[in-house]
Order: sequence, then structure tokens, then C-alpha cells
Amino acid sequence: MADRALTDLRVVDISQGIAGPYATKLLADAGAYVIKVEPPGGDYTRRLGPFPGDMPDREQSGLYLHLNTSKRGMTLDVSVTSGQVVLKKLLAKADIFVCGEKASTLRAWGIRYDDLKADFPELIVAQVSPFGATGPYAEYDGNNLTAMAMSTIMYNTGEPDREPLVTGGQAGEYVGGVQLWIGILAALANRSAHGGGDHVDVSVAEAAASADEYNAAMYGFQGAIRRRYYSRHIFGYPNDIMECADGHIVVIPGANGFPSPLQPDTISPMALLMEDIELDKTDFFKQMGERMLRWREFESMISPYLKSKTAMEIVMTAQALRLPFAFVPDARDLLSDEHLAERGFFEHLQHPKAGAITLPGAPFKMSETPLHQEPSPLLGEANAQVLVEDLGYEKGDLTILSDRGVI
Amino acid sequence: MNGAPQLPLEGVRVVDLAQVFAGPACTRILADLGADVIRFESASRMDVTRNLIITDNDGLDHHWLRSSYFTIRNASKREMVLDLAKEEGREIIRKLVAQADVVVESFTPRVMANFGLGYDVLKQIKPDLIMCSLSGYGQYGPMRDFGAYGMGLEPASGISSITGYAGGPPIRSGLSFTDPYSGFVGAGAILTALHYKRRTGKGQYIDLSEQEAAIPVMAAALLEYQMTGRAPERMGDRSDFAAPQGCYRCAGDDRWAVISCEDDAQFGRMAAAMGHGEWLEDDRFSTVLARHQHHDELDAAVTAWTSTRDHYDVMHTLQAAGVKSAAVLDGKEILFDPQFKARHHFDTIDQPPLGKRPVQRHVAAKFTRFEAKARRHAPLLGEHNEEVLKELGYSDEEITQLKTDAVIADKPNLPVPAQFISQALKLPYERYLEAGILQAVESDYREQLGIAD
Repeated sequence: MADRALTDLRVVDISQGIAGPYATKLLADAGAYVIKVEPPGGDYTRRLGPFPGDMPDREQSGLYLHLNTSKRGMTLDVSVTSGQVVLKKLLAKADIFVCGEKASTLRAWGIRYDDLKADFPELIVAQVSPFGATGPYAEYDGNNLTAMAMSTIMYNTGEPDREPLVTGGQAGEYVGGVQLWIGILAALANRSAHGGGDHVDVSVAEAAASADEYNAAMYGFQGAIRRRYYSRHIFGYPNDIMECADGHIVVIPGANGFPSPLQPDTISPMALLMEDIELDKTDFFKQMGERMLRWREFESMISPYLKSKTAMEIVMTAQALRLPFAFVPDARDLLSDEHLAERGFFEHLQHPKAGAITLPGAPFKMSETPLHQEPSPLLGEANAQVLVEDLGYEKGDLTILSDRGVI
Repeated sequence: MNGAPQLPLEGVRVVDLAQVFAGPACTRILADLGADVIRFESASRMDVTRNLIITDNDGLDHHWLRSSYFTIRNASKREMVLDLAKEEGREIIRKLVAQADVVVESFTPRVMANFGLGYDVLKQIKPDLIMCSLSGYGQYGPMRDFGAYGMGLEPASGISSITGYAGGPPIRSGLSFTDPYSGFVGAGAILTALHYKRRTGKGQYIDLSEQEAAIPVMAAALLEYQMTGRAPERMGDRSDFAAPQGCYRCAGDDRWAVISCEDDAQFGRMAAAMGHGEWLEDDRFSTVLARHQHHDELDAAVTAWTSTRDHYDVMHTLQAAGVKSAAVLDGKEILFDPQFKARHHFDTIDQPPLGKRPVQRHVAAKFTRFEAKARRHAPLLGEHNEEVLKELGYSDEEITQLKTDAVIADKPNLPVPAQFISQALKLPYERYLEAGILQAVESDYREQLGIAD
């Protein structure tokens, strides 16, 4: 087996949901020893679907099975003193402690960075919360929707006369997870270079806002305030999802799709695609502003062509003309996609309860230390291993801790 | 510690051949963490983002120094303008790579190899090199040569299939979402590889497909299809995880707030905060299942309360009651929001010739030992040509010769007079305002932001 990048790291993760667990999944799949500490009832994502055959089962939540690969699973009630004592024994051996609670909760439990740094000066305490650990909203509750609302992305997504739309797939939580992962790796690099643990404090709302393309920039550099307009870019139309004979495609003329005033005698790739060279003489083909403002006319001009062809025909022809059109796959399409199959993107795992499942593979391919996914843990699966083998508790202690609801 | 605080990637050098959005977002993170990022452009093919969102939209010349889009993504970096079609240009890259830890590039596959700068060549020069290629669809596979723009890759990752109004078509987010997302993933991948290199001394190659990087966002949908045979449908702002959940109209022009209640307790607190304790006795709303079944009626009832209130009032009132809620912010409001302000999400940089400007953080995390912020202005075109060449040991005579031979440059090589392009880049503000593409244009924005001269 190939070497893995982070095999020297030990991580204790008490976070639940998406952002924290996705960050530690990226560490675990890269070889870090991650102990996922769940409350005795389990991470709440175990209650979230999808489930096989729509039968809820905390061992078979699809979301949980995706987010917790390659981790050791143990249960521990960290809200009580007996659990906090065990947690601190785990932290004594850890490089990184990940938590997803608000500052007030961590304070009540005595496990804030400030509570831990004297005993564990090299520990990196990574905290992800809806609005961040400081500031006037630090104690506010939130989720993916509140993060996307604050980010300016939502305000600019959707139709102008309807409500702003959230991006699908809990995208804000995933950005939060990726930014938490970056913060942890940055703190590790700093510890290597200069020594010392640190507090890594990530707000999911700020993480989503860090992805803003130019909403705040338009105000900070122009005084202009953008508004959602069918999710279109301010600097060009189309670049949009449009209907074709068998579904949808993304029409992207790119930098060279329409006629260039520099090459007046050349037929534009968009006109070639639509098999009508007269189109180059229209205002819509000559001027971006006309396409943008009179888009309904432009759309009615090109939609008969699009609706007469399949997505495959249009995208392959467009790409041959060097127009960067794209497909609009759904979950089913992705799972049977030939390009992804040839790249070996999806990973097929055998989970003891859920059986054969196919998970999205590594988000990037490393030549020397490829990421690798082991099935997500059953609830409390590693309790004995962690408590007895790692921490030196007696086997009899396990029963007592279980009896009292600590594990 | 004296002077400037120490940063985690001090001493790490990055050769940055990335353009546009994803790659520059990746290397901005490395630069803010202290790496010496040297980016490269070509005089005849500048980074296209130097043409986007020009400061004050005034048609002034030198537009390539006045792009907000370029500035926010390239702060903290140095830059050379180099002609890679010339052997002397490629020689400079090779010399820099010999001293570099990381190379980042975002060309379509084959371009680097065609320049003779593929990973196999560069690792001969620097055996422990980390090289990351960010592309639309990856370095191999039947779609590797597809042209790829950011606006196509969010749909290509599947995310658009679950974004949209119920019953409506798939929709893109109002930005090229997978560009920053995959750029951030690339930064984390490089930090992972740097950790491995610190431990073992080994470098490696990273093939990052923007499409693949974002597919994990689709994981629940992919598993739903496997587990139930259904590909999830678009459901606007609703969710199986909460009801009511949605984006509710507030007082004012196009003002909105989101609200999300998962369980009976949260719903009870929301009803009380809205002065509608009777909802708990209403069979349409009193249970989780009832709230999902009567979501439209519930939304109407919630909207009756929100629509007479300011969106921030809705947020603060509901949050004070323990209910998840947030104001939906536009590009101006986020710059004035007390939380983003308190946590310094925007750094003010002094960008020649534009003066003080707000630039958003690209590292979202806050640390106690250092600040991962914009450290200096985005480079002017070719600003560091001589500085970097001198560090490489080039003499003044050699540098003059490179200028004469147009191997290096500090001005673009434009096909038409610059003024023509600068004028063409002006957005038609008045017509955009009329169409509703812009909400407002405020000429006193610098005074409002406190960044006027």
C-alpha cells in the first residue's frame, strides 16, 4: 500500500454534522489517526437521511457513512465530568482537537482553547461554529442556510422576482469544512515552523463569504450593489443553464465564441455551432450588452437549435469548436459517468451494516500519498480499543461507564 | 518575537502559473499564510480577470491595474510578466522552480508539457517538488481536454441538479461556486503535501479536477439515489431537516431573512417570538409532520410577520429567542455587518493606483499566533520582474536584454489601443439599474466605507 501523508497525526473530534466531520474525514483519509467521539446517542447526522429503502437506522445514514470514513468511532458524553476526564486523557495524546460547539458550551464543559492550553501547550484546538467564536453573533445558532444567507451568495442566486435561493447540497457547510481543514493544516505548519499549539476558529458564515466572487468587491471598488438576475454573471450572457432536447446543458460561449471585431472575416464558433452564419450579423452576436439586456429575444433565437439536439450532441460539437459548454448531470448521471469511471473517481466500500456503497472518491489525486477511505465506524465500535488499549482503562470500567451513560 | 509576526509558510516559495479564479484563490491562501508566491502572466494574454469589474467603471485607461476582481484574488503575491514561448522565459521558470517548494498551474492539460514544463521535467530540476495542477476535469480521462470555465463546473459536479425552485429547472449559483471551492481544496491538498514533505523530504504531483473536488457536496444525493432509487428533487430553500425553513420577505425593497426550525422546541420559541402562541394548538402546525405537510400555509403565516419587519430585526429577534435565522446580505451589507467587522473578514489594503480598498479574507480561520490576512497589494503587471531576476542572480545587463527581447514586460501587448478596451469594459450601469441587474450605484461609497483619500 502507498504511504499516506498524515500518519503521524492524532486527532480527537467531538464535532457533529457536516463541517467538522468533513474536515476530519479529509485528515483521516490522508492517514491521520482520527478518533470520532460521539455522544452515546450518536452524531445527529446518524438520524439524517438518506437511508436504505427509507428505513431510518442510525448505522446506515448515507450522510454519516460519507462524512466519517477512516475514523475510529467511540461514544463519550463530554457534557459530564466523567466524560471530560476521559476526553482530557485522549487530548494528552492528540495533536488536534476538533469541536463544533459554541464558545459558551465549551466554556461550560471546560474545554475551550483557553482551558486546555496550559495542560496541552502543543495542542491545536479547532473550533467550527455558525458565526465564529467571537463577535456580537458568537452565541447565535445557525446552519447551512444562515451561512449562505450571510455570505452574499444567496442574495445573488435565483430569479429577480422570487426569493433568493440557497445552493444545493449544504454547500456552505462543506466550504466551512474545507476552511476548517485548511486552518488545521496551517496551524500544524506553524507548529512545525515556530512551535506551539493554537486556536483555529472558523465561522461557517465567513467560510462561505470567503468564496464570494465579486459581490462585495463591486461595492468596495465601484459602489455598485449587485442583485440576483437569474444567477447570471454581471459580465456576460449566456453562461447559463438552458434546456435541450433531453435535459439541460450549460451554454458558455467563452472568450472567443462570438464575433470578434479584430477578425471581421471569421465566422464565429457560436454561429458555426448553430449552423447559421447570418447570426454573426445580429446585434445579439455582436454585443454582450444586448444579449444581457434583451436576453429573452436572444434565448428565443437559440432555443429552437438547442431543443432540437441532445445534450451529448450539443456539448461534443461545441467542445470541438472550442466552446467550453458543459453537461448538467444529476446524481444518477454522475454514478454512470464514463469520464469519472475512467478516472476511478468513485470508491466502492463494503460497510458491515449498509453493505456495498459507492462514495465520492478523493477530491484530489496525490501521486505519492493517495487518499483512501475505510468504512465509517459503527456507533461505539472502538470504545474498547481506545479506552483499554490506548488509555489503559480496565475492561470492567467499560461496563461501569456504559451503565452510567458516559459511553 | 519582534517585528512582523511569524507566519506558518515563511520560507516556502510557490511558482504560480494559475490564472482566473480557482488557482489564484488557492495561491492567495498560501500567500496569506506567508509563502512567497510569485505569479506569472503573459503580456499578450494577461489574466482575463484584469478585465473584470473595473474600479469606478469609468473607462479610464490602464484598466489592467484597476480590476477589483484581480485585486481581491491576488493580494499578497509577487508577479512577473514572462513570455513562455521564448526559451529565455522558460529558463527563468526552471531557475525559479529549482528554488521552489510548490508549483501551481491551471492550464488545460498538455499546455505545461508543451512548454516543456511538465511535472516529469520539473522534478528533475527539483526532486522534492510539490506540483498541483488545477483543471476542469483532471489530467486524464475522456474529458481531460474539454475547455472548462467556472460557470460550467458547478453544473458538471451535479450541484445544479439540486439547486433551484421546486418544480423548476436546475440553476447555477450566482457565482462560479466550484472555482473558489476547488481552489480552497487545492490549498488544503498542498498543505497536506507540505506536511508529508516536512516529515519525509518527498514531493509529489497533485491532479485536482474541479468537477471531482466538488462532487462530495453531492454525497447525500448520490447515496439517496443508491439507497432509494430516487435522484433528489429541487426544493428551493426547503429541506427534509427542518420546517418551517425558508427565505422570507421582509420590509423594504428586496430584503429577506432565512429561518429554520428543526423540532417542536425551536418551533415553539419561534411562535412565541412572533406573538403566535396559538400556532402550537393549530393542527396544521403543531407537529413536525404537520409543519411539513402544511409548509405553504406556514410560510404564509411566517411571512405575514416578517414582511413588516426589517430583515436584521427578524434575525436578532429570532436569535434572541433561540431560533436559527439570518438576514440575507447583499454585497454592500456584508461590508458593514457588525460580525464580519468584528472578526476582520475584510482587510483594507492600499492598492496603487486605487487607494484603500476592502479585500475579503481567503483563509477563513482565525488564529491566536498569527493572522492569515492580505499582506500587501495585488501586484501591478510585471511589478517584480527585476526584483525576482536579481534574486536569481541576473545582472542589470541581462535584465535590460530580457526587456529588449520582450521576454519580460510590464505593459500588456494589446491588439487594439488600450483606450478602446477600457471603454468597452464599462458596464452599462443605467440600463443595468433599469433591468434590475444592479440594485443601486452609490457614488459616495468610499466615504461610507471610510476609505476616501
